[in-house]
Amino acid sequence: MEWESDERELKAAGAEPLPDGRSGLRIHGWEIESRKRSILTSLQLQQWEEELQTSHLPEMVFGDNSLVLKHVNTGTKIHFNALDALVGWKHEALPPVEVPAAAKWKFRSKPLQQVVLDYDYTFTTPYNGSETVERNAEIVKVNIPAGLMLATLVRLFHQLFCPYPPCVRGLSNESSCSLHWEDCIDKIDLVALASKEPILFYDEIILYEDELADNGISLLTVKVVMLFWFLLSHINLSDFQFTDERLLCISRGSCQVLRVDGVLMRLRDTRLHCLFERHMKSVILRESCWREATFQALSSKGYPSDCAAYSDPSIISERLPIIMQKAQKLSIEKPCKH
Amino acid sequence: MSDLDRQIEQLKRCEPLKESEVKALCLKAMEILVEESNVQRVDAPVTICGDIHGQFYDMKELFKVGGDCPKTNYLFLGDFVDRGFYSVETFLLLLALKVRYPDRITLIRGNHESRQITQVYGFYDECLRKYGSVNVWRYCTDIFDYLSLSALIENKIFSVHGGLSPTITTLDQIRTIDRKQEVPHEGAMCDLLWSDPEDIVDGWGLSPRGAGFLFGGSVVTSFNHTNNIDYICRAHQLVMEGYKWMFNNQIVTVWSAPNYCYRCGNVAAILELDENLNKQFRVFEAAPQESRGAPAKKPPPDYFLADAGVALTRFILVERLLGLQKEWYRCWGF
Repeated sequence: MEWESDERELKAAGAEPLPDGRSGLRIHGWEIESRKRSILTSLQLQQWEEELQTSHLPEMVFGDNSLVLKHVNTGTKIHFNALDALVGWKHEALPPVEVPAAAKWKFRSKPLQQVVLDYDYTFTTPYNGSETVERNAEIVKVNIPAGLMLATLVRLFHQLFCPYPPCVRGLSNESSCSLHWEDCIDKIDLVALASKEPILFYDEIILYEDELADNGISLLTVKVVMLFWFLLSHINLSDFQFTDERLLCISRGSCQVLRVDGVLMRLRDTRLHCLFERHMKSVILRESCWREATFQALSSKGYPSDCAAYSDPSIISERLPIIMQKAQKLSIEKPCKH
Repeated sequence: MSDLDRQIEQLKRCEPLKESEVKALCLKAMEILVEESNVQRVDAPVTICGDIHGQFYDMKELFKVGGDCPKTNYLFLGDFVDRGFYSVETFLLLLALKVRYPDRITLIRGNHESRQITQVYGFYDECLRKYGSVNVWRYCTDIFDYLSLSALIENKIFSVHGGLSPTITTLDQIRTIDRKQEVPHEGAMCDLLWSDPEDIVDGWGLSPRGAGFLFGGSVVTSFNHTNNIDYICRAHQLVMEGYKWMFNNQIVTVWSAPNYCYRCGNVAAILELDENLNKQFRVFEAAPQESRGAPAKKPPPDYFLADAGVALTRFILVERLLGLQKEWYRCWGF
């Protein structure tokens, strides 16, 4: 879906589009950029396979797609990309799900020299975003393929010294500074979304998808919406009116939808909610919610068991029970020291 | 101009036929297809095309690059329908060409030419939407059962949608399959339409799904040797570059749906073989947006309408923007 921002609204909000035809905007010290490119070429896929030490990747890897939210002063970056998501898949390594036809196949005569492949072909990932800090925020340009080898080293180091989940892309000018998400009980203020203020930016970016060889779909996307509003606070002690500018950026973060026809549906949804205030620290809230059900369980609850009945995402999320839910927050106050 | 020629002209403009015309066309096609072998003989020169998936305007690009039928002799390797927005027009045009020029176009069956798969991945819904009933879907899926399973070009190039089967070593074994049925969930016919070559196995591999074969280089070598063929030409898998050789040029994948699902950004290819079986891949891109008769940009989102007084609360809007878009998901059978 193509989205075009309204120039006047951008101006009124103090935002400017990114130069050189990049998709995104700069606003109050933040830069938001979405990149949408083609799927990886066969050669790139091979490089990724070596990098990830796997011989299986989704059929469509949008390896150069990304969404980046960058706090320019501190160089703090929250970003979403396919490579980190696939690192998460590799690490989680769920056991494969058998399709309904598998029952019949068990009785087929086995060919000589048969190997049974064993990997999570659904590419389910716990990924809910990456965070990095750029050392030299003004100079660095993010170039995803260039840093692949170094990324391996950084990741290896990371895996040796700290357990999953931190997913850090170690591009040459970035480091995995002390960005720390802490668990919290705060909730994303959905009521705030009901305000009638301009949408400054909207985009949806696919990270990868696979048709499971026509046995369903696995799709990992990122969506972002940026809203802007003025909050008027009347201060009773004097008669002056204080205007505080606020920016709200919500992103669905990474949303993975999985349907293995006749077997199960899985929804792994992460919402990010960033409230950017000019004079205060920024707080980013992250809510993750995993839902999952087998078609059998759905039909035993009286829900339809054919996949056509699950065309509406709100229906999917209503009918699938929650299996994991957590909230975390990240405060961005001052530049990170090295 | 005959009715059939008029229908072909109409379909070339991406205008579907009337239900009664579809019924008549399918009956005629059935008479032709029923006579074809499971391993249909094809003469060179011929141009081989992979998956189309209802991307009608991209198929028109294909004909621009490859030349019109009947001037060019075509072999389509299946997967005409599903995923794209014009499965009806795409399949009917190919079928009308088949009826008009039976010796100049060969259509073989892909795994999407099936009742079960089309109900999930778009063709069923498209028929229902365009005709208001499922009759056209029924006529078309009945015809699918008559499509041949493979082709043999000048006895030297074996063409199939998916790949090989462990239950098949000779072409004669394919000839004995009773193909006039829905694609089964297992067995030789299923394998021919569903299996994939795979680098990391040497012999046979079983997919982690518990169903679906993968075959390695040694399997292809022995099949080609046994049947005295030069190489296998198949489709079924997306390739960013439009075609891909494997196992030391013993098998090639040809993919003919550029910018697959209107977002992958891949190029497509067709394989032209001259009378001496010399190969030339012709690579092509998706049709330009303006030739599709669709607006380049979507109309402004509902939000602006909301400002104009249409009762749509902001909450619903944001939820919709962030939600999975239904229209977007249509081609996934969601």
